[in-house]
Amino acid sequence: MDTSRDDVGISIRSAFLRKGTQQRFSLFALTVLSVLLIFLETIETKPLDRIRAFIKDTIFRGSLVASYPTKTVSSAYGFFERHINLYSEYNELIEENNKLKNNISKSDFLELENSQLRKLIEEQVSSPTNLVSSRVMLDKQSPYLNSFVINIGSNKNIKNGMTVLSGKYFIGRIVDVNYFSSRVLLVSDLNSKIPIITEPSGSHAILSGHGKNEPTLEYLPENHDIQNGDKIYTSGKEGIFNPGTPIGEAKVEKDQVTVSLFSNLDQITFVNIVLGEKEKKN
Amino acid sequence: MAFHIKDFKTKFFELLPLLLLFFISLNGSSIINIKFFSVNIHYILVYYWVLRHPRSLGYGFIFLSGIISDVVLGFPLGINALSLLFVAGVAAYVRVVTVRITLINDWISFVPALLFANIVYFISLYLSDYSVDYFYLLKNSAFTLIFYPVLWGIFSLIINFSKS
Repeated sequence: MDTSRDDVGISIRSAFLRKGTQQRFSLFALTVLSVLLIFLETIETKPLDRIRAFIKDTIFRGSLVASYPTKTVSSAYGFFERHINLYSEYNELIEENNKLKNNISKSDFLELENSQLRKLIEEQVSSPTNLVSSRVMLDKQSPYLNSFVINIGSNKNIKNGMTVLSGKYFIGRIVDVNYFSSRVLLVSDLNSKIPIITEPSGSHAILSGHGKNEPTLEYLPENHDIQNGDKIYTSGKEGIFNPGTPIGEAKVEKDQVTVSLFSNLDQITFVNIVLGEKEKKN
Repeated sequence: MAFHIKDFKTKFFELLPLLLLFFISLNGSSIINIKFFSVNIHYILVYYWVLRHPRSLGYGFIFLSGIISDVVLGFPLGINALSLLFVAGVAAYVRVVTVRITLINDWISFVPALLFANIVYFISLYLSDYSVDYFYLLKNSAFTLIFYPVLWGIFSLIINFSKS
């Protein structure tokens, strides 16, 4: 039996335009509303931003409550896993402890030398930046977006583009600010591009995220001499991030330089946000 | 008493798809990643229930669940909602044009639903200036299609429970 063009048209109209059994809205109306919402996302005005911030803050709270069961299950699993691995971890820690003991004397010497050199070039040793700490509220690792939500927003003067640190290491930047929450885009995300400088080779490049895989260095000079273990710092070239914030270590693999981050992005509970330079007191 | 328990059971199984829908979006677990495997259970859930039992899953709820997913996963508002509505649209069309309920029919008609949803997803993200891992998108679609019969079986059991 052939299906005529009219039959297809009637079926499509029936599926998209008619409200089905117990349906309050037609699919067509909701599709138009979704397109409108996507379009509105591109418009930035204060009233719209406030509505968006309110919606997002409310959903984040709801999400926090809804994720309690999964959080409890995963923490219980982690608890048992840690107990099972206790013996092997103990041996690893002993080994690590011995290595660290050997390195202490070396590190003390380097620290002393570093502070003497800083004095020599009259650099201010104490940090001039203004930090605010925050807790990770939601860490829903989307396969398309590596980010998490923290529990402070414009109520604590957080703004888009601010640097986010785990301890003293760079992990990402603020990309979305609501009143009580903000979203942090991690360096591992596909959309993350950070200007960096390598040390000691001194090459400038862009640290580019690749989702689950380690980030890589792009736009390196052709004859760079980056070695395994070179340190990667923010260069501060674009003027948004402070220069000299440590990010990770270089790993040279064939033609590519990947970066092993100093922070484990899966294990972050608290972060520091750089609010900007402290005002200098005269 | 027995009547009340049966009444409660029927109500619970009727509401189960809706509860699952909102749990998935609020929990940010629309995509399950286990090592190399990655399955979009949000698409399967919407497709199955709109196709088989549309009274349990209203379009308004599907839209709302998409908006929640967008917020939780950090996408511009409307992207997930739009792709979920396309999945629901294809399911509604297939419901109108098919008579017999078989796994094979459902499974084959799920292919265009996935294609439409992913095209919409990709175009909306592209227009919103988001980078997408194309290989991941392809892999996710393939595994979602492969995994469909498993959830089809589970959801059919839920429908049978609610009827018994």
